Amino acid sequence: MQTSETTIKVGYGDNFKEIKVILPAGDIPPYQPEDKLELIGKSPNRADAFAKVTGRAKYTYDQQLPGMIFGRILRSPHANADIKNIDLTEAKAMPGVRAALSYVDVFGRSAIRYAGQGIAAIAADTEQQAEDALAAIRVDYDVLPFCVTKEASMKDTAPQVGRGDQENVVPARRRRGGRGPSVEEVDAALKSAETVIEETFNTQVQTHSPLETHGVVCDWNGVDLVCYASTQATFGVQREMTSGRGSVKAASAKVLGEFVGGGFGSKFSAGSEGVACALLAKDAGKPVHLMLDRREEQTDAGNRPDAKQNIKLGLNKDGEIVAYKVKNWGTPGSGGGGAGANNDSIYNLGLKHKEELTVRTNCGGARALRAPGWPQGVFALESIMDMAAEKAGVDPIDFRRKHDSHPIRIAQYGIARERSEWDTKRNVVAGSGKGTVKTGLGIGSSLWFQRGGRGAAVRVVIHKNGVVDVRNGAQDIGTGTRTIIGMCAAEELGIDMSNVRTFIGNTDDPRGPGSGGSTTAPTLTPAARLAGFRAKEALLAVVAEAKGWKAEELDLQTAQVVRKDGAALPEKLSFNDACGLMVEDNIDITEDRRPNYDGFTGTNAGVQIAEVEVDTETGQVRVKKITAVSDCGKVINAKLAESQVRGGVIGGVGYGLFERRIMDRGEGRMVNANLESYKVVGMADCPEIDVVFLDVYMGHNNTNVMGLGEPPKVATAAAIANAVYNATGARVTSLPITPRRVLEALARKEKRG
Amino acid sequence: MSNTTTLTLRINDEDVTVAFPTHHTLLEVLREECRLTGTKHGCELGECGTCTVLVDGKPMLSCLVLAAEMDGHEIRTVEGMMIGNTLHPLQQAFADLGAAQCGYCTPGILMAAEALLEANPDPTREQIQEALAGNLCRCTGYIKILEAVEWAAATQRGEDTPPAKESIYGSPHAATKGE
Ligand code: FES
Ligand code: FES
Repeated sequence: MQTSETTIKVGYGDNFKEIKVILPAGDIPPYQPEDKLELIGKSPNRADAFAKVTGRAKYTYDQQLPGMIFGRILRSPHANADIKNIDLTEAKAMPGVRAALSYVDVFGRSAIRYAGQGIAAIAADTEQQAEDALAAIRVDYDVLPFCVTKEASMKDTAPQVGRGDQENVVPARRRRGGRGPSVEEVDAALKSAETVIEETFNTQVQTHSPLETHGVVCDWNGVDLVCYASTQATFGVQREMTSGRGSVKAASAKVLGEFVGGGFGSKFSAGSEGVACALLAKDAGKPVHLMLDRREEQTDAGNRPDAKQNIKLGLNKDGEIVAYKVKNWGTPGSGGGGAGANNDSIYNLGLKHKEELTVRTNCGGARALRAPGWPQGVFALESIMDMAAEKAGVDPIDFRRKHDSHPIRIAQYGIARERSEWDTKRNVVAGSGKGTVKTGLGIGSSLWFQRGGRGAAVRVVIHKNGVVDVRNGAQDIGTGTRTIIGMCAAEELGIDMSNVRTFIGNTDDPRGPGSGGSTTAPTLTPAARLAGFRAKEALLAVVAEAKGWKAEELDLQTAQVVRKDGAALPEKLSFNDACGLMVEDNIDITEDRRPNYDGFTGTNAGVQIAEVEVDTETGQVRVKKITAVSDCGKVINAKLAESQVRGGVIGGVGYGLFERRIMDRGEGRMVNANLESYKVVGMADCPEIDVVFLDVYMGHNNTNVMGLGEPPKVATAAAIANAVYNATGARVTSLPITPRRVLEALARKEKRG
Repeated sequence: MSNTTTLTLRINDEDVTVAFPTHHTLLEVLREECRLTGTKHGCELGECGTCTVLVDGKPMLSCLVLAAEMDGHEIRTVEGMMIGNTLHPLQQAFADLGAAQCGYCTPGILMAAEALLEANPDPTREQIQEALAGNLCRCTGYIKILEAVEWAAATQRGEDTPPAKESIYGSPHAATKGE
C-alpha cells in the first residue's frame, strides 16, 4: 500500500481550515468534523466498570496462586552508608524461609545512599515469617554523614551523596534545541528593561501515592516467567525480565497487569523489588508475592523533585516581556535523573536564559510524576506572570493573551474567563475584599505535546457469533485505555459496546506503549480504529460474496449492513447475521499504529482558573472551584476524559495546598512516610471542578487524539497561588500553601504597609 | 505466634468456618483465607479506607480489627453487595457515572456509602463528604463519587434524578454545556 495525499479539516469549534497531509501507507483519514459518529465523543461506561464495582477486578496485590509464598525487603535505616558485609546465613535458617538474596550480590550495590534503600530480600511461607527473617540478617555498615536537603547538600563542607568523583551539585543536561541567547545578552536586556521583577520560588517533594502500592507476583513455569505486575508498562517489565543485561534473564516472560491501582508515573519499571521477587521465586521454586507496604511506597517508589527557582523578568515601557532569566535548583534525591522545572515556556518571554542545577541529596530517587517538571515550573512562571501583569497594570488574562500565540489557548482564555465569572468575582485590587474570609481568583496555563506514535498494534477479532474482541497488551492504569480502544474499533464496525470484549494488560497480546508522557491514547486509538476498519472490510467482503452484493457499496451502521448511498438492500441483514455468514471461524486483523503526520498544532493547551477562600485569621485556604478548560485533541469518551481532568486537578490541589515529603534532618529519614501526615486531598477538601473541553481535530493521526493524563495537573497549583494573592494581596512563594505560609505572607505585607 | 483460631464467621449472609493465625486482621482473613479480594489493601495503617467493610452495618477498617474478634458479628464486603444478579443502586451509579477510575478505592467507598445510605437515605453532600472522609481516592477527583452516592440515594428513595451532563465544547462560543 502507498502513502496518499489527502485534504483534511483541522481545528475546533467554528475555526476550521483545510490542510493537505500525506497519509501513511495503509492508514485511513482522520475523523472529520462532519462525520456522524455514534460512539466517539459519547460516554459509554468503562468496559471494566462491572468488574470494578463488584470487587471482581483482580489487581496484582490480589493474586493468590497455588503454593504462593511472600517476599519482604530489608531496608537501610541509614541515609548514607557503605555495606561492609552482609550475612544471610541465620536468616536462611529461620522458619518458613525458602529463598534469600542480597542486593549487593544481585545489583552489585553496596553503597547506601538513602534511608529505605533495599539491601536484601527474603521469601517465606508467610509474610510474618519473612519479616521475622529480615530481622536475622546481619549487616555491617560503614555509616557516613548525610544531607537530605538541597541547602545542606550545596554547602562546601557537605558530605558526598554519590561515590567516586560524583559531585553533589551538577549542571542539568541541556535540553534539545538550538542555543538561545547568551547570558550576557539576557543580562543586557534586563538592564535596559523599564522594570525588572525578581522572585525566588520554592516547591516541595511530592510522592505519587497510588492506592495500590508497587509490586509483583512472580511464578516460574520451567524456564519461563509469569509476572503479575502493578505497572504502567507491561512491555517494559517484560523487557527488564528478559534482557541479557538484567539480573533475571528469563528466556521469556509473560507480564500481566489486567488491573492496576494507579501509577501516575512511578510504575514504569519492575523496580528492584520486581527483580528481587523474580529471583526469589526462581530460587524457591514457588510463586512469590512481593508488594511494597505504604512506608516503602513513600520512600522508595519515586517522587516529584523539589525546586528552587529564581526568576528575573524584564518589562518594557509598553508592558511587554523583553527578557527572562532563570536559575533552578532541584533535587532528584540520590537518583540519577534530572530535577528540572519547566518554567520558561508557554508564553513569549523575550530573550531567555536558563541555568539548571541538579542537587543530589540522600533521599529516595525521583521518578516521573504526572507532567514531570511542569507543575513546579508553572507555579513559578505563572506567579511571576501575575506579578508582571500587576506591574504593567493589565488584567492577568489580557497580559497572558498578549504574550501567547497558541491557537487553542487563545480561545480557552475567553471560555475560562466566562465560566469562572472572572470579571465579576475577581478583585481588581488584590486583597480588597471585605471581612476576614476573603475570596479571590487566579489563573494558570498549561502546555503539552503531541506524543505517541509507532511501535504498537491492536488486534480485532470478529467471531462468527457477532462477538468482537479488541486486544492490546498494554495496561489500563485507570485512564480508560481498555474502554477507548474498544470504542474506536466498535465505531468502525457500527456496533455498540455490548458485544465488544476488550482485553488489556497481557504481553501475549500485540505490543503497546508504556503509559507515560500522555501517549497511550494517541498511540493505541488510531491502531484500534484502523484494525476495526480493516475488520469491517473483511466482514463486508464475506457478506458481498455470500449475498452477491458489491462490497464497495456496503457499510455497517447501527448493527446493520447498509448501503453507503442510503438506498435499501434487497434484505435486512444484522451485524450478527452478517458474522454468521463467515465460512472461516473468525476474522482476525492486527494493524500497526501508523506514523504521525503534520497536523494543526504539535501541542495541546489548557487554562485553569481557581477560586479560593482564604481565612486571613487562620491562614486556611479553601479551593472553592477550579475551572479547567482542557484540550486533548478529539475526545473519545467524554466521561473518561472528564474524569482524567478532575484527577489531574485534584492532584494539583494537593500539590498546591497539602502534600509534601518531610525529611528528618537529624535522622535522614522521611518523617511522614504514610498517608496520614503525608496529606493527599480527601473527599471533604474537593472543590467544584468545571471541566470544559475544546474538541480539537488535530490531524496528526486518524483519531485526532492527544494524551490527557498529564496536562490537567500542570496549572492547578499555579492558579491557586495566584488566587490566594488575589484574595489577600499577599503572595506565597512556596508550595504547599500552608496556613502558616499564608499568615507569614500577610505579616510581610502588613510590614510593607 | 503460630496460634491458630478457628471461627465461624458470618460473611455476606453465609456462615464460613475458617482457621487463621490468631493475630491476623479481618482484612487478611477475608483476603487470604476467604479469598474475598474485593476488599483492598492500601496501607494496613488505618489511613486510606480501601479496606472498609461493614460490621453489623457499621463501616469498619478491616486492617485495624482482628478477625478473632468477629465472633457473632455480621460482616459485609463488596462481594455481598449485588442483589441477586442485579447491581446495587450504588454499584450501578458508580458504573454509570464513571466514579471508579483505577477502581482500587471503589470497594471501600461503596461499603462506606452503603452504611451511610442505610442510616440516612437522604444525605446532604456535606454528610456524604463526612461519611466518606476516611476513604482516599487518588484518581477521580471525588466529584463523580459524590454524585454517584447522591444518585443512588435518590434511586433508592424512588426518585429519578439523572446524572449531570458531560461538558464538551464543540465551539468556544457556546454559552452552555453541550453534549
Ligand atoms: S488498608 Fe485499612 S485503612 Fe488502608
Ligand atoms: S479510582 Fe483510583 S484510587 Fe480511586
